[in-house]
Amino acid sequence: MSAMHTANRGTGRGAGSRRSQAAKRANRTGWAFMAPFGLLFALVFILPILWAVYSSFFRQVTVGGGAYGGGELVDKFVGLQNFRYVVTSQAFWAGTGRVLLYTLIQVPVMIVAALVLAMLLDSFIVKRVTGFRLGYFLPYAIPGVVASIIWVFLYNGQISPIVKGLSALGVNVDFFADNIVIASMANITTWTFTGYNMLIFLAALQAIPHDLYEAARIDGASGLQIAWHIKLPNVRAAALLAMLLSIVGTIQLFNEPQVMAISDPSISKSYTPMMMALNTSQGTLTPGGDGPASAIAIVMALIAGVLAAVYALVERKVNDR
Amino acid sequence: MMSFNKRLLAAMAAVSALSMGLAGCGSSPNDASEGSSDGVVTITYMHRLPDSEGMTLVDDIVAKWNKEHPDIQIKATKFDGKAAEMIKKLETDVKSGEAPDLAQVGYAELPEVFTKGMLQDVSEYAEQYKDHYASGPYGLVQVDGKAYGLPQDTGPLVYFYNKAEFAKLGITEVPKTASEFIDAAGKAAAAGKYIMSYQSDEAGNMLSGLAGASGGWYRVKGDSWVVDTETDGSAAVADFYQQLLDAKAVTTNPRWDPSFDASIKDGKLIGTVAAAWEAPLFMTSSGGTGSGEWQVAQLGDWFGNAGKTGPDGGSAVAVLKNSKHPKEAMEFLDWFNTQVPDLVSQGLVPAAVTEDAETPTEWAEFFGDQDIMKEFKDANNNMGGFTYMPGFSAVVATMNETAAKASDGSGKVADVFSEAQKTSVDTLRNLGLSVAD
Repeated sequence: MSAMHTANRGTGRGAGSRRSQAAKRANRTGWAFMAPFGLLFALVFILPILWAVYSSFFRQVTVGGGAYGGGELVDKFVGLQNFRYVVTSQAFWAGTGRVLLYTLIQVPVMIVAALVLAMLLDSFIVKRVTGFRLGYFLPYAIPGVVASIIWVFLYNGQISPIVKGLSALGVNVDFFADNIVIASMANITTWTFTGYNMLIFLAALQAIPHDLYEAARIDGASGLQIAWHIKLPNVRAAALLAMLLSIVGTIQLFNEPQVMAISDPSISKSYTPMMMALNTSQGTLTPGGDGPASAIAIVMALIAGVLAAVYALVERKVNDR
Repeated sequence: MMSFNKRLLAAMAAVSALSMGLAGCGSSPNDASEGSSDGVVTITYMHRLPDSEGMTLVDDIVAKWNKEHPDIQIKATKFDGKAAEMIKKLETDVKSGEAPDLAQVGYAELPEVFTKGMLQDVSEYAEQYKDHYASGPYGLVQVDGKAYGLPQDTGPLVYFYNKAEFAKLGITEVPKTASEFIDAAGKAAAAGKYIMSYQSDEAGNMLSGLAGASGGWYRVKGDSWVVDTETDGSAAVADFYQQLLDAKAVTTNPRWDPSFDASIKDGKLIGTVAAAWEAPLFMTSSGGTGSGEWQVAQLGDWFGNAGKTGPDGGSAVAVLKNSKHPKEAMEFLDWFNTQVPDLVSQGLVPAAVTEDAETPTEWAEFFGDQDIMKEFKDANNNMGGFTYMPGFSAVVATMNETAAKASDGSGKVADVFSEAQKTSVDTLRNLGLSVAD
């Protein structure tokens, strides 16, 4: 993209016809660079979405008659029936409520923690930043499922050193108790993604021109004042990005509950909308099949989109004031 | 910011990585069933057998066949994942014409897989192999009187218990009746031991089997289903486990959670209902704890049905819809499913009756020199018939979830069966099948 810009600007000095030709060539080059990405993007992203939208209007039913349906499932066009099922499904809204609650608690905690860590690393308090930076980021390098498995072991009442240690101190915790299990999941997500968000903040912090700090210091500002009045306002854009990514990510909560369900079978097949979509497609929920599963995924994507848009709008309103 | 060159390099790396992935998708291992011009037929077979260390590996069994049958070559693939995932994969593969010729399908899932349009009627080939198998399992591979494959193994429910630990508690034999059992469980619990486990993640398969021992849940009347999951058998099972839960005389660790293994390893769990195919898995779970002291026994008269048992798992191998060589596939399948010692090594209780299954020495060592294959066979002969409905996996999921609520006291075991009723009816209706009121 930046190549296109410089090319366009560079041709500004030439004559009219030569300019348009060169511009065309530059355009072509640009598209050529885009092509591999564009092709794959269409193939693995756009097409599946279109396919999901298409299949959400169908349901897989038998038409052969008899008790076993004749051994053939057909895709029957059902109009908006799948969507009607999703928006009237208690399980779907219970799942949505769960992930919203989860987002509400987990995202702010994680973002604040990431910001604090980034500020610390950016300050002069910490020496040997590289080690810390890597250390905080490392959990993100562990695949989500693996992280969940590790934590399930740490939560497990019979083998966990944490549970055993706490109970030796007289504190008996059950990380799988009905009202705690969601916090246990939030802890896994926070552990995994805090370092990642910290990096976003750290990059933003380091992009702040150091003249600003100097000026502030000459004016007699303390370290805390610099952090509050210069650093914080300057990472707003980064905070918006981190928040949006986190909101969209947590709405799609899947790994943690899916893995934790092994230890806690009361985590249902429709615990989160993403789990509900998968299990619907596999037929362990009814109505099953790709049609209803696609409808769940689409409604969920819409909800996530609306939430992200609302957050971005509110953020802008607040900042403009 | 990365320099432009670096970005380009990164982009190229990403693209080549992606296209490698795509190339990987293109060449499916399953498109070999075409059969080539030189007269060699290739049959593909997908299974979920354990295939772990110390067993006769499926590939080795298949190699024996391939050597003797140059015209019919078999390619076996192991699917690593749950049954529901494998069915989803096969469903997609059948649609795209890429499915294997043969696939392992659990008896509980066979009607579902049939309804999903994934099976091929092979009655004309199956008939000649009928005598090789016990009639019960052979019937479970049929839908509406037509055969879709051959049975491989059975999963009768039995009772595993540690005899030495029982003796220490003064329990001289496996309790015969429900009240005797509950008394003994209470006595054991007082000493910190448990003679039964309540496994919510296996509830759908196990509790349906235990209840089904007293009588089936699903019946076909005309073209409709008659569903009754709240039978007397179900009530007896619910009552039995509820009493144990209320008395805190039963463990509640899910079967496939590490805590279950831990409960055997630290000697707390000294008895449990288990499916026959669990024997080698149970040995692994125990980590050797109590080796030589464990025994297999038939279920007592705990559920008001004079000690009849029911099915939990067990699989057939079915011929999938797109197979172009059903005759050859069935020929291999019959050979494979009658390789009794090899299948036993995989932890199966073979459905074949062509030879007696012998207990492997390692198992006999763990189970106090007992001929446990004989126990399993006896259990097989004492098993009630159970017809599964299409879409049963949704019922299993509901039952597991509801069962988990009973283990922490927020629900009752009886709810498991009432939820099963609701989900069964919903599932059948959603599939477009009719349900009699």
